[in-house]
Order: sequence, then structure tokens, then C-alpha cells
Amino acid sequence: MIPEFTRSVGAPRIAAIAYPMAHPLGAPGDREGQMAVLRATLRALEEAREPAEVVELPFEWPERPGQVHADPAEPPPIARLLARRPWLVAKFLSGDIPEPQDWRAS
Amino acid sequence: MEMDSYRYLNRVTRAAVKAWIKREPYREVPWRPLRKPLAHSTVTLISSVAVAMRDDQPFDQDKERRDPWHPDESYRLIPRDATEQDVHLYHLHINTDFGEQDLDCVMPLRRLKELEQAGEIGRSAPTHYSFQGFVLKPRELLEESVPAMIHRMKAEGVDAAVLVPV
Repeated sequence: MIPEFTRSVGAPRIAAIAYPMAHPLGAPGDREGQMAVLRATLRALEEAREPAEVVELPFEWPERPGQVHADPAEPPPIARLLARRPWLVAKFLSGDIPEPQDWRAS
Repeated sequence: MEMDSYRYLNRVTRAAVKAWIKREPYREVPWRPLRKPLAHSTVTLISSVAVAMRDDQPFDQDKERRDPWHPDESYRLIPRDATEQDVHLYHLHINTDFGEQDLDCVMPLRRLKELEQAGEIGRSAPTHYSFQGFVLKPRELLEESVPAMIHRMKAEGVDAAVLVPV
């Protein structure tokens, strides 16, 4: 997933894997592949010696970025909102999240 | 760091994550060594895929559709024997077909039980957990959901929790 982000929010130990979103352990039905990822993750848990240590797992996803199907069938609500109101993208990027009762006024 | 962890992200998500990383304040990392070997440890999984048992209350997708900035911040309990037949996945930002087809590719409960049977972990906890991962400003998640999950983990003697993103 995205170890730099996970590290920035303070996770104690991080097992990093460069797989697409939506199937972090591997492909459906790939019992051996999933087991390998889980085992390596737990090994990282045992072997990490320092806070926020990142262990890069030795797995490569076989598909190119254009071949994966990690996105949902319909765009998520935030994507639709930002497409309709592009001036809100700055808030999205800066983390200036509107309060629950204020979003309609944005 | 050698691997390209951004390889599969689209441009907008990539830009957002990089911006968020830059603005995260420094925080001390909560950390302690493992108190016992994994082979003697109770392990639980926490998935951000928003999975719920079919006989449990669904995650509120309409809440997120009404207010895209503030999704459902509740959590669900997933028993150790749950499979894809018993659950539904409610995450709106990823293709949930993979996890619906085989729960282990997002929440490896069967794999964890196999590690228990092989003696590589002490046991898979009786209860595992899920919440909705896309929470930009976690308030209820941190003040209510997380303490409740921790309380139950302590009651079940959990030694290690593996957070599994999607």
C-alpha cells in the first residue's frame, strides 16, 4: 500500500507491499500467495526493532498499472463532489475538511 | 525506500496522499516490543474495507453519499470463522469484487487459522474488526469506535493486531 503515508500517521510497524488497492493479500483464490504475504507481514512484526520501522515485503504484482481493476464501478461520492465543485479540491488536498453541517455552504 | 508504492495509484489519489503526508504533524509512535513469540500470541485483524456480517447492520453508504466528507465511522465485529458467504463489503472507494469473491484477499481469516493450526501463531482471536477506511477527519472513529475495539481485544487477550488496508 503506501508506507510513507502509514508511517506519517504513526503506525508502530509497517510491512510495505507494492500491490494494487482492493486486494492487499493477493488474488482471490491464491491461497499460497495470500499465505506468503501474511507470513511475511507477521515476520515483519517479529523482526522490527524500532518504532515506525518499514519492512519492504519481497512481492511483485504481475499486472501493469493499466491492467488492474482496483477502482469501484462507480466513482466514490468525494470524487463526484470534487468533479462538480472543483474549487473544493484545494480543501481536499490541504486537509481543510468542512464540518458536517457546513458542506452544503462550500 | 526501493519499492514504488505509488505505482498503482491514479494521479489524483497520488497527489492527495503526497499532500497529506507533507502536512501530517510529528507524533510519537506508540511502540513496545512483542512480549511473547508469535507462536504463543493471539492475533487479530483490523480491516479498513468496511466489511460487516450479513446479519449485522450495514455500513451507512447513504451517509457518505449525502456528505462525502464524512463517511460512517462505526465499526463491526467479524468472527474468526467468517467467510465471504457470511459478509458484505461496503467500501465505496475500491472494487469490492475481489473481497466479495474471497474474503482472504482483504481480510485473511482462513490464512490466519491455518497459521494457528500450523503452530506459527498462538491463535486467531475469536473476534476481528472492520471500519470504513476513507475517514478524512476521524472523530467518532477515534473517540468511540477505536476504544470499543481495544476494550474487546483486551478482554479476548489479544497480543498483536494487524491493520490491513485496502
